[in-house]
Amino acid sequence: MKIRRALDGKSVLRLRTGLEMRLSNLWACLFLVFAATTLAVMSINVGFTRTGVSDLGHLAAGERLGGAEVFALLDVRMPRILTGFMAGWCVAMAGAMLQALARNPLADPGLFGLSQGSMVTIMVLLALFPTAPRSIIPLTALAGGLLVALTLIWLVRGDRSGGLAILLMGIAIETVLSSVTGILILYTPAETSYALSDWLAGSLFRADWNGIWAFMPWFALSIPAAFVTGRALRSFGLGDDMAMALGEPVPWSRPTFLFVAVLLSSAAVAAVGPLIFLGVMAPHLAGILSPATGRARLFLSGLTGGTLVIAADILTRLVAADVPLQLGLSLSLIGVPLFIIALRLRALRTISNL
Amino acid sequence: MRQRWPFLIIAFFLFSLTLLASLSVGAKPVPFETVFLTFTSFDTNDYAHAIVWYQRWPRALIAVYVGAVMACAGCVLQGLTRNPLSSPTTLGINSGAAMFVVIASFVFGMNEQAQGYMALAGALFGFFSCLLVVRLVGLSQDPRRLVLILSGALIGMLYLSAANALLLSDPELRSNFLGWLTGNLNHAYAGRLFDYWWIGASALALLFGLARPLTLIVIGEEKAASAGVNVVFVCSLAFMAVAVSAGSAVAICGPLGFVGLIVPHIVRPFVGTSFIFSLPACAVTGATACLLADFVARFAFAPYVVHTGVILDLVGGLVFAWIVKRYYLARNAGSWT
Repeated sequence: MKIRRALDGKSVLRLRTGLEMRLSNLWACLFLVFAATTLAVMSINVGFTRTGVSDLGHLAAGERLGGAEVFALLDVRMPRILTGFMAGWCVAMAGAMLQALARNPLADPGLFGLSQGSMVTIMVLLALFPTAPRSIIPLTALAGGLLVALTLIWLVRGDRSGGLAILLMGIAIETVLSSVTGILILYTPAETSYALSDWLAGSLFRADWNGIWAFMPWFALSIPAAFVTGRALRSFGLGDDMAMALGEPVPWSRPTFLFVAVLLSSAAVAAVGPLIFLGVMAPHLAGILSPATGRARLFLSGLTGGTLVIAADILTRLVAADVPLQLGLSLSLIGVPLFIIALRLRALRTISNL
Repeated sequence: MRQRWPFLIIAFFLFSLTLLASLSVGAKPVPFETVFLTFTSFDTNDYAHAIVWYQRWPRALIAVYVGAVMACAGCVLQGLTRNPLSSPTTLGINSGAAMFVVIASFVFGMNEQAQGYMALAGALFGFFSCLLVVRLVGLSQDPRRLVLILSGALIGMLYLSAANALLLSDPELRSNFLGWLTGNLNHAYAGRLFDYWWIGASALALLFGLARPLTLIVIGEEKAASAGVNVVFVCSLAFMAVAVSAGSAVAICGPLGFVGLIVPHIVRPFVGTSFIFSLPACAVTGATACLLADFVARFAFAPYVVHTGVILDLVGGLVFAWIVKRYYLARNAGSWT
């Protein structure tokens, strides 16, 4: 393990295996892990039942606790934090991948309608085959997300308007799909319907350990995926011709990476519902922390996304102690102003291209 | 534009047909004679008369009002902003009005009358915040004005999610507002129509009166100015009228989207850009479109009744996608004036 200087004079940590990491990215990563841990501790302490990390320590030491405390810690708060972090990680990483693939800094699985597509197919499944096993839900979500992605690509082929038209097209698809969900909600039985509309707005209310085990493989998949795609995504940013010149097999790697991005986003949708704006917000915030590219950008975005969801969850529980303010709502309340700022920054950079 | 008069006549004919159909067709069909009898000699003891007079007639009137107002608003907005995607929905007017109504009811506990006036203020607020975002984003020089629509969409999302978040604070009031917030035609809202119809009517009258100077402005601002039109004054008056009338429609039945986007595109190929003809045509066609959407909402998913707003969103989203495709993504796109 040595510290070297990169070509631009920045310090780089070089492992014995040949893996190199920029120190600035490493510091940003450590900061984010620290922030996520702090927020998780806060999140464990916040709530109706008076309990917290110290009780968790007692529990680990083998002491007996009251039933209410154990329930609050193990069955409510821990699953919420874990599910929230994993979902945020996946959505943010999918957003970062889409931004590189579409060469559009405003790409987002929610704004492009991918999450809505996953949602509609899940609802169709639940409405038509209520007895279907739960394990196929992520696959259904994946099918829906892919369908929307293909439709979007087909609709905007030959886009030449600086990438804003693709956003409008995504919003159009989203409108159509959300009215479809509105119709579907009518057909599901009242109880399912209520649960669905809760989940439609993005909610951690239903987080439990079974859900976490079901989500875990997809989350785990994102780590090798980031290692494989990270380097290629950097060359995509230079344009297709340049990427091919750099040895990137664009014709097959582009669809594969799109598949991975949709996979991550639909797994998150299946777990907590759509988190619109997170996919565009997290990579930009990560970029402010440390202007990383490639793999580092993916990992930093994922960490930022997870941290943001934990923070938003604390916020929803603090602000609305007795009413379930949905996570998706609070994310869009934060997300829209940040998105406008991102637009503004983009305008400063690319005003001549429009 | 030789098709102007035929189009107007056909549109009016279709309108009367749909109006009559929406009064007579339903879960309990009422023959045409009975519908006419309801208006000529109302019999309080007749069940069919009661259905037509207390349920279908108010519902149809609301549809006509909302359709006419929204379509005219969309027509004027599309002309003045020179953007095929402009409409009260896409420029944040509807969502601003909706948010203000929810705030009025949930935060200040105002009565229905006051909520309506808050909706008017909210419509103006939504429109101005959309313009403010365009300015903040700093892309107002973009010749194709995509940013205007993008800002409107963002403002819409922001305000609607704020309204939704507020709704959660009171579960009991929430159930009253949830249907309204998706845009719903309902005979229960007839009282509000009675309160606010004059707002939309006078705004439409104002727009009809301004039709000639507005047409001149659409042809070219400098030309209009040289023909003696006070461009800034006429434009701001027209925008005010549009926002206020759309706000009154939102106050009645919620943010019923996309009539204002679709109808001008149906009307324009036949009638042209002159507001003198396109405004009346839009009003009639918009009313017909709303009645038809209401029809679909009532029957397509029987025995359930869907909210009309859902149907309009479905059609509107498709048309929105088509417009983006047609005007922004086609090879020879961008030739819209």
